[in-house]
Parts: sequence; C-alpha cells; structure tokens
Amino acid sequence: MADDESFSPDRRAAYAPRRKWALTQQAFDKLLASLGEDRARAGERYLEVRSNLIRFFQWRGCPFPDDHADETINRVAKRIEEGEDIRNAPGYFLGVARMLVLEINRERAREHQALGEMASERVETSEPEEPQASIECLRACLESLSPENAELIVQYYQGEKSAKIENRKRLTERFKIPVNTLRMRALRLRDKLQVCVEDCLKR
Amino acid sequence: MSGDIPEMKEEAYSEDQIVRYLLGDLPEQAQVEIEDRAFQDKQYLQSIVAVEDDLIDEYARGELSDSERRRFEQRFLSSQERRRKVEFARALAIVTTELARPERESFPARAPAASGRPGALAAFLRGLNPAVGFALAASVLLILIGGSWLFVENLRLRSELAELGREQESREQRRQALEQQLAEERARADETAARLERERGQELARQLERAVGESTTRPAPPAIASLALLPGVSRSGGARSKLVIPQATGRARLQIGIEPEDEYSRFSVELRAQAGQQVWAEDNLRPRAIRGGRVVVLNLPANILQNGKYELVLKGVTGERSFEEIGYYYFEVLKK
Repeated sequence: MADDESFSPDRRAAYAPRRKWALTQQAFDKLLASLGEDRARAGERYLEVRSNLIRFFQWRGCPFPDDHADETINRVAKRIEEGEDIRNAPGYFLGVARMLVLEINRERAREHQALGEMASERVETSEPEEPQASIECLRACLESLSPENAELIVQYYQGEKSAKIENRKRLTERFKIPVNTLRMRALRLRDKLQVCVEDCLKR
Repeated sequence: MSGDIPEMKEEAYSEDQIVRYLLGDLPEQAQVEIEDRAFQDKQYLQSIVAVEDDLIDEYARGELSDSERRRFEQRFLSSQERRRKVEFARALAIVTTELARPERESFPARAPAASGRPGALAAFLRGLNPAVGFALAASVLLILIGGSWLFVENLRLRSELAELGREQESREQRRQALEQQLAEERARADETAARLERERGQELARQLERAVGESTTRPAPPAIASLALLPGVSRSGGARSKLVIPQATGRARLQIGIEPEDEYSRFSVELRAQAGQQVWAEDNLRPRAIRGGRVVVLNLPANILQNGKYELVLKGVTGERSFEEIGYYYFEVLKK
C-alpha cells in the first residue's frame, strides 16, 4: 500500500506542473506587446495562439489541453518578463509547448509506475451508446440552419469513406465552389452545430 | 501563407500523413514538421481539423481497423473535449444516415423493342393482308401499352419498397434509441459532471476575452476546485493531499481512484469531517474509465467544505441496501 509520500495529490496539477510564478499585469502587457504593436490585434493573436495551443495538446493526446495551453502561455510570459527577446512568437510558443509535452509524458510514466502498472497503455472505453439526447438536439439544430446549409452538412458528412468522397465531389459541383471552400463551410457548420447541440443539452 | 515553407516535405501535406500524425504514428521529426506548418498556415491547420473530424466520424461509425481504433482510443479519448467531439460524431452519423436519401435506383435506359430495325418491320407489315396487319398492329400497340404500364408499375413498387426500407430502418433506429434511453438516464450524472467541466472552460474563455478587451488581467479563480485521490493511501501517511479552494469557487470536484480489483458497477461515497460528522453522502455513483484505471467523480458545493481535515469513505454497492467499505481517502481543505 502506498503511503502519502508517494501519493499524487492532484493529477491535473501534476500534469500541468505547479505554477510557482503567477501572471502579473506587467508580464501580460509584455506578452501582448510581443504579439504585435497594436494592442487590439495583439489580443486577437493571443486568443489565436491559445486556441492553436489547445489544438496542439489535443493532437498530442494530452489530458487537459486548456490547462496545458495556459501553462505554456504563463511560461512564455515569464521568460519575456525576464528579458527574453522573442522574434518568432508562434514558433516560440510551440517550442515551450513541446517541452511541456515531454514533462507531461514523464509525469504520466511516473504515475503509471507508481500505480503499479494499473495504468497500462490500455484505455478502457465504455460501450458506445447511442446518444439519444444529442440526436434529438442535433435534429433540432439542423432545422435551425438554412435548407442549403442543412443539405450541405448532411451530404458532406454522409456515407462511408468512398461514398463520402463522391458526395463531396457532387457538392462542389452542386454549389459551384472549390473543395477548400466547401471544407471550410462544412467545418464552420459542424462547429456551429456542435455548439448548438451542447447548448441544447444544457437546457 | 500556404506554401511558405518550401523545405517542408511534400508527404507532410497528404491526408494519410495527417491521419498517421493524429494517431501518434509518426516519428517526432515528422510530427514537428506538421505542427510547425499548422502554426504558420491557417489553411493547413484547417485541413488537419477537417481530417481529424473525418477520423472521429470513422471511429464513431466503426469504420476504423482494430489497430487504428486502439490507437485512436489511446490518443483521442484522453481529453474531455475530444470525448465530446466523439459523442457529437456519433449523433451526426446517426442523423445523417437517417436523413440520407437512398441512392436512386438506377435503371438502364431501355430502348423500345421495335426501334432496332424499323424499316424491316414496316416492310413486313406492308406485305401482310390488311386485316391481319391491322390485328397485328393492334396487338403490338396493346403489348406496348401493357409493357409501359408494367414498367411504370415496377418503378412505383420499387419506390414503395425503398420507402418501406427507410421506414423500417427508421423504426429500428428508434427502437435502439429507446433501449439506450435507460442507459442514458444512468449516465446523466456523468453528463452533469461533463457539463460542469464545459461551463468551466467557457467561463475561462470568457474571462480571457474580457481580460484582453479590458486590458486587465488577473488570473481568475477556477469555478471548480479539483483534487484527485488515489487508492491505497494510509491515514498515518506523511503529506496529506490538499484541496485548495479559492474564494469565488462554487464547486469542488473529487476524483476518487479505484483499485483494479474493486469491480463494482456502483459506488457510494461518504465524506466526514475530522470530528467524525458526516458532511456529504452520495449513492449510486457510476465509475468512469480513464487512462490508467477507473475513478468515481464526486461533485459537491464548495461552501460545505471548511478548512480542516476530511475522511472520505468509498463503498462498493453489493445489493439493494448493502454496501462494502472498500477505501478510505484523507485530504485537507484549505480555503483562500
């Protein structure tokens, strides 16, 4: 039986190592300044960087992408406050994020070991359930779209692999738009539908 | 900025490479190339997101091979956001299938039988006795009319058949949906916890946006204070886990690790203050599978917790009213 010494008090905190340094107003101002001279534009870039970092941590299979993104931003802000001159902000953020991924993976390995192999690479997943509430919400959300958009999203994501390719080809002809434009429209509509479904589920 | 990185290897652009990247199947260097490109080229980033959505859809539809599915589960199901995407994809797969218009039955164009050699037929008719010719022409006409009617009727029946197929499919989906309803109800508690997580994320995003807009940034206190409690921690142990609750925190979330051999399907939790009085109890908690084992998640109002030491008793539900105490967890609350 493990004792309290080997006990990891907060897994989330463990994956995003404890923040000893806190973001100050001055540090945040410097961080924004590193992203652009115009403060409003820098603010937009900040949100974009954060969103990209969240995606990066998701792609790398990390458990708390939002927290890790914030930790990355804090670390970059700290280095800027300490006088580091950042020329390629996206690359710099990404570099710091990669270092954090290494730490997270080390922490995971350590935790797996501490748990006595309970944490093998196997991931238990529950049997897929038909998400009835989500289905009903999705039906309602589809009705809120214009007929053209509803047709686009349904056709775009319909069918299996090969059928999907054919459907998308037909859609580019039907709407007379290039593949990239079609994809962007489908992605935006999918995001909108997912937000709509999640809002609907909250009600 | 598309095409701004000429040294990037061409294969990094391919959909297959992106799929391998998303499944964690590429060497580090190739991963780095893809990520660098995605951070500098919005269009490329969108391509990855599109491939990711398709991959999630394929998982939701059960189209991935066994090895792809395993890698997907290891890599994708590690975060709450991704699990929400998978749930959405499941709903999308069902609804798009439901709304799919069945492929139109294709019938080969049928040329009229008489169209092959009209000149020969006319010459043949001209050579006949007029009465016989008339009777023959009338018969041909009747055959043509009957044939056309049969053809139209055939089309109608096929259409009805397709419609019946759709109805049957729809009924089947509805039946399956009803069967799932009970399970859905049981999962309600889990969904509530997930919603709390979502709300926290949204609140954080709003606070960030507000912070950028107002040019003021103070780290906001979390809406939920979290603490993971692992099994097998002795009361007499040294450092006790601490749950730090900032002032504005509304909820506290305790993630209670379960020993692998405790294979109960339901759990009950009792939380006691140091003096022994019960401060919270909750039954019928379903375990969740996470990377590395199973946990029970307890959400409770932060205001019932005061500074001090707590003992949490985890019980496995063995029957209608019978429980078995299987674990004791100790932590300390610090309110700030």
